[in-house]
Amino acid sequence: MVVDVVGFLPHATIHLPGPFRYLWLQPICCANSPPRMSPEQILFWVFAVATVFSALGVVVLKNPIASAMSLVATFFFLAGIYVLLWAHTVAALQVLVYAGAIMVLFLFVIMLLSINDVGPAVQLSFSRLLGAVATAALLAALVLAFRKLPTSDLAWANDPARLASFGSIKEVGAIMYTQWLFPFEAVSLLLLVAIVGAVVVAKSRI
Amino acid sequence: MTIPEFTMADFWPVIPAGILTAAAIVLMISEVFLGAAASRTYQSLLSVLACVLAGAVALMNMTDTPRAVLQGYAVMDPFSSFLTLVVCVGTGLAALLAAGFLQHRNAERGEFYALMLFAAAGMTLLGLSNEFITLFVNLEVLSVATYALTAWLRRGSRPSEGAFKYFILGAFAAALMLYGAALLYGATGTTHLTDMAAKLRAALAETDASGGHPKQMLIYAGFLLVGAGFAFKVAAVPFHMWTPDVYEGAPTPVTALMSAGVKAAAFVALVRVFMALGPAVDPQLPFIAFSVLALLTMVVGNLLALPQRNVKRMLAYSSIAHAGYLLLGVAALFAVGKDAKVGVLSSTPLVGISGSMQSDVYQGILFYLLGYTVTAIGAFGTIVALERREDETKGNAWDLDRFAGLGSRKPGWALAMTVFMLSLGGVPPTVGFIGKVLLFRAAVDAGLLGLSIVGMLASAAGVYYYLRVVVYMYMRPAPEGALVPERRWTTELALVATAAGTVLFGVLPGPITALLQRTDMLFHR
Repeated sequence: MVVDVVGFLPHATIHLPGPFRYLWLQPICCANSPPRMSPEQILFWVFAVATVFSALGVVVLKNPIASAMSLVATFFFLAGIYVLLWAHTVAALQVLVYAGAIMVLFLFVIMLLSINDVGPAVQLSFSRLLGAVATAALLAALVLAFRKLPTSDLAWANDPARLASFGSIKEVGAIMYTQWLFPFEAVSLLLLVAIVGAVVVAKSRI
Repeated sequence: MTIPEFTMADFWPVIPAGILTAAAIVLMISEVFLGAAASRTYQSLLSVLACVLAGAVALMNMTDTPRAVLQGYAVMDPFSSFLTLVVCVGTGLAALLAAGFLQHRNAERGEFYALMLFAAAGMTLLGLSNEFITLFVNLEVLSVATYALTAWLRRGSRPSEGAFKYFILGAFAAALMLYGAALLYGATGTTHLTDMAAKLRAALAETDASGGHPKQMLIYAGFLLVGAGFAFKVAAVPFHMWTPDVYEGAPTPVTALMSAGVKAAAFVALVRVFMALGPAVDPQLPFIAFSVLALLTMVVGNLLALPQRNVKRMLAYSSIAHAGYLLLGVAALFAVGKDAKVGVLSSTPLVGISGSMQSDVYQGILFYLLGYTVTAIGAFGTIVALERREDETKGNAWDLDRFAGLGSRKPGWALAMTVFMLSLGGVPPTVGFIGKVLLFRAAVDAGLLGLSIVGMLASAAGVYYYLRVVVYMYMRPAPEGALVPERRWTTELALVATAAGTVLFGVLPGPITALLQRTDMLFHR
């Protein structure tokens, strides 16, 4: 059902891409040295950079429709990363449910409300500055933490039986309905509460 | 594929949540058959009944042996069972208060009580979650329900502002916490709290070629983010900014539920997560973090409450201060011995925490949670009784002047409010006094002398703004043209119950402390 992108590529060895690790390696194509990146790594960087930029677009773009479309793009690129992580089911659900259904509803709502004003201009204030500094500090700390991480190949990368079933709908379903039963039921309660809450909040007057 | 096998022993801890959820669904279905003008007092009483039943099951669970249930995703221990009991007491009382409040505003609908019961179910499930994803989902159940309840009445700008702030900031805090949990999962490969501690220790010990610890920063970043998420939920300084606006904007019965139930559940989950994972890291770190949080929260909460003339806002700041006292107890759980490199404000050498002291701290925390729940709901209940729909949009509905002359106009209400204020201030013979004694004694035993003294001084400062309300009630004449308070039997029943509880548990704390005097309070492994 899901096209196995990775399987079609030559030299398909699985690497768990340690983010930020390859930023400082040689570029992909150099005149003298052979390419050092596997196809997965190239794809990972394409998806990762695109995800970050489209996510930035959600925040930065002034037009709500453009913002929402940018979010759709983010979901698509994230789905690509899920495929690279061998999580085909999650990738398919991401495209079908989030990018397909939920975001279309978002767009409808935005269009129906026909929001024209772009909101107040962002002004520089002390608290905003403090927030920016704190965010930058958190980002720097996380980059430092990630850079130190070792990369390791998956232990079962050469186990064809595991590769065939991992991330498939059957496997995910079996795990979800046997092992993860209690959290699964808790999620159903959460959905019910969210529906009731949404109706309550959306009513014009109680 | 292995099909899991469950026995009834797996389900007992989640039965209270099941009762609450079932009652919520009944309430929602029954709403279908009611016209707009139908009497809905029974809905409040049905909610109370569900809370009583769930509380009774929780009380029964208290005596059961602690164990992991439902494949290790949840635990059954006295700690979570007592939280369930506290939540049921709080929700039942808040539902009683809500009846009159909502009738007065023509806003009584089954969905309100249903959301309240859903929130309570989320709280009880949060208390027994033993795995990060379960914990997050249950935290969201209670959060989403309280977001919606905060936005129940949208008259004037305050409720909308409060609900929106709560939703945005709450979602942000939940995201931070989830990210922190994901980082911890990345370092250990498990989300189960019981397995995580050993794996964290192994991950921390790993060395790379240069002799460094590659996963150390990742794990600390994870702890930091999870801690920040919890600090937001319990409204610890400096994560408290949302509290006064949200508490003021929410319908008062919801504020009562938030100040008591949400906070209690978040505290129990916080203790469970950090007691499970804390031993894996240097005990100095959680100790310093919680000591600093406790210090800031106690001092800042009380200082900010001092100038408030708006009683509802004052109670919001006071709930921040009370979170500080509880954080002092949490810090005591991590008190390290004499080799402490950093002791926050400790003039004596720390003695550190031992097994029996730990159970004293648990007893202190849980008793304090019960005491605060009963008292805070009573205090907010008095506000519910005095509030009038007419001045909701004026912004002075909760001014101190509203309490002027209450001693002669409504002597019963004034007496109840006096009891609540004395209990919040920690004056005997009330439950607040006993709670503070138990909590501070446990902290002093663990060696947190300096911090405890600061806590006592801060709570002494708190007596000022609590007693100011009493002074207004008895020594100021009622203002000209004061609205005559409306009497509603549900509200008065809740006031009588909370006032009686506040005094009774203060005079006879024995049964409760005996119930909490256990060495196997928190389930480990």
